[in-house]
Amino acid sequence: MEAWVVATGLIVTYLLATIVLGIIANRRMRVDLEDFLLCGRRVGFVVLYLTVVASFHSAFAFLGSGGFFYTHGVGFWAAGTWTLLVGAITYVLGTRIWALGKAFGYITPADMLADFYESEAVRVCVAIVSVVFTILYIQVQAQGLGYIINVASDGRITVELGTLVLLVVAAAYLVVGGLRAVYWTDVLQGVWMYVAVWIGALVLSYELFGGPLDLWRRVSAERPDLLTLPGPEGFFTPGMWIGMTLTLSFGIVFQPHMMIRYYTAVDARTVKLLGATTPIYLMTLYIPAALVGLGGALVMPGLDVPDRIFPELLFAYASPWLTGAILAGATAAAMSTLDSILHANMTVLTRDIYQRYVAPDRAQAHYVAVGRIIIAGLLVVGYLLSVGTYDFLVVLVTLSGAGALQLMPAILGVCMPGRRSLSGAGVLTGILVGLLALYVTLVLIPHPLGMHGGVWSLFVNAVVAVGVSAVTRSPSDETVERIHGELERFIYGSAE
Amino acid sequence: MFALMNEYSRRSHFIPRTRDGWIASGTFVLLFLLAMPPVTHVFLNRTEPTVAGIPFLFVALLVVYVALIGVLLWTLSRKV
Repeated sequence: MEAWVVATGLIVTYLLATIVLGIIANRRMRVDLEDFLLCGRRVGFVVLYLTVVASFHSAFAFLGSGGFFYTHGVGFWAAGTWTLLVGAITYVLGTRIWALGKAFGYITPADMLADFYESEAVRVCVAIVSVVFTILYIQVQAQGLGYIINVASDGRITVELGTLVLLVVAAAYLVVGGLRAVYWTDVLQGVWMYVAVWIGALVLSYELFGGPLDLWRRVSAERPDLLTLPGPEGFFTPGMWIGMTLTLSFGIVFQPHMMIRYYTAVDARTVKLLGATTPIYLMTLYIPAALVGLGGALVMPGLDVPDRIFPELLFAYASPWLTGAILAGATAAAMSTLDSILHANMTVLTRDIYQRYVAPDRAQAHYVAVGRIIIAGLLVVGYLLSVGTYDFLVVLVTLSGAGALQLMPAILGVCMPGRRSLSGAGVLTGILVGLLALYVTLVLIPHPLGMHGGVWSLFVNAVVAVGVSAVTRSPSDETVERIHGELERFIYGSAE
Repeated sequence: MFALMNEYSRRSHFIPRTRDGWIASGTFVLLFLLAMPPVTHVFLNRTEPTVAGIPFLFVALLVVYVALIGVLLWTLSRKV
């Protein structure tokens, strides 16, 4: 049987499995907004673990990380720092976000921030930042999916058609089963992608080099420039290392699809266990990526698109069945992030905009129905963004990684009580000035003084937030006591 | 009464309040600094000595990452 038939067939099988899971999830669903958006806040450790890691690792981890090792060498092993930081952030902040969500019924990040800072402007700003900077990921993931299915079918299915089919499947099981469908499919996707990357990398390293250790020895002998910092193209400078660590940890955790996951946990212990163990999955996934990228640099040098190194190696050196299974794993990696972002954007638009400003006090079933319509709308927007070429998108995609990072001062102000509180005006001004600084330091003058633009923008944001807060009205004592008192009781047992 | 509660609730959460909290956060920060510049770019940035053929930088960082996971698991076991 030809390789493309096997590869395409396995991807189709995988897609059918996700739809079946969506239908089963639908049978468990209640017509209730909290159930549709947050799985009723009853998600246990195993499901939460796999949905968090699957959502964190997207098509980039599957394809892009191999390309990074291929081009820039071992410097991409810096990835371990941000995955470890994700664990610590989850342990410290995730538990607090969970506790506040449970105590005050928060569903979105904007719910929490607007409540503490007593500001509708903060709610709208956070909702817009949440949607704008994550909707771009729909485009990135959808394009990745189109590319994967195009490669798997050996060009018989166009990128545009592949993108459409996979977007429709993701939207379909989300519409049918809500967040529960996303979580259940993420379980399948999380397991599949991890196993696929490891098996693919090991098979290739034995096939091409006689094993992983021999692969390392060959790289040491033939491409030692790939094994030191800052790498062959000088990419991994100290400033980039620090910047990527901050941007890809805090910046991703503060995106709505990740923060919403904390709200859904069944208890605080589950979130702590999640924080302590997620780095095991997240960090170790980059070990096979290193084997693929570094090994690929030896056997297939000079690729125009380094991100293609993994599928190119598979088609050249692996069996059709293995290639198909691994490309289905790549599909899983992209879809698990795509469906989570679709869900998060739908949640923000339904909860923070529609329920708040357009049609408050309607029945729960009404909001569930509106959420489903919004998913259909996001599907159309995502597809149009994916197949079109828009100059402004290039700029927005550049900014997107560090966009959610601008929420950091505001979130720390809520979740980490200090002597003084930031004000609504302070965090709002900080976010807006931070986004402006991000544009300057990523687009106009990229990475000034060798420091990642995300770090510059966060610094400017924090200084402005503190400065403006010093001269504007802080949240009322009642609100601070209510929310920080809740955290005091939750962390230390009493508000004394 | 309310003023007193307010004062207590505004005690900083950035400073650990227990011995285990100090150990956990202190150890995590120190280990994390080993995986950040300038340590990475000055002290760890070499290929020799290799460990079973794997270059020093990769192995050293892997050891630090595993140690950091160990700190998180210890913190969990101590219920911090």
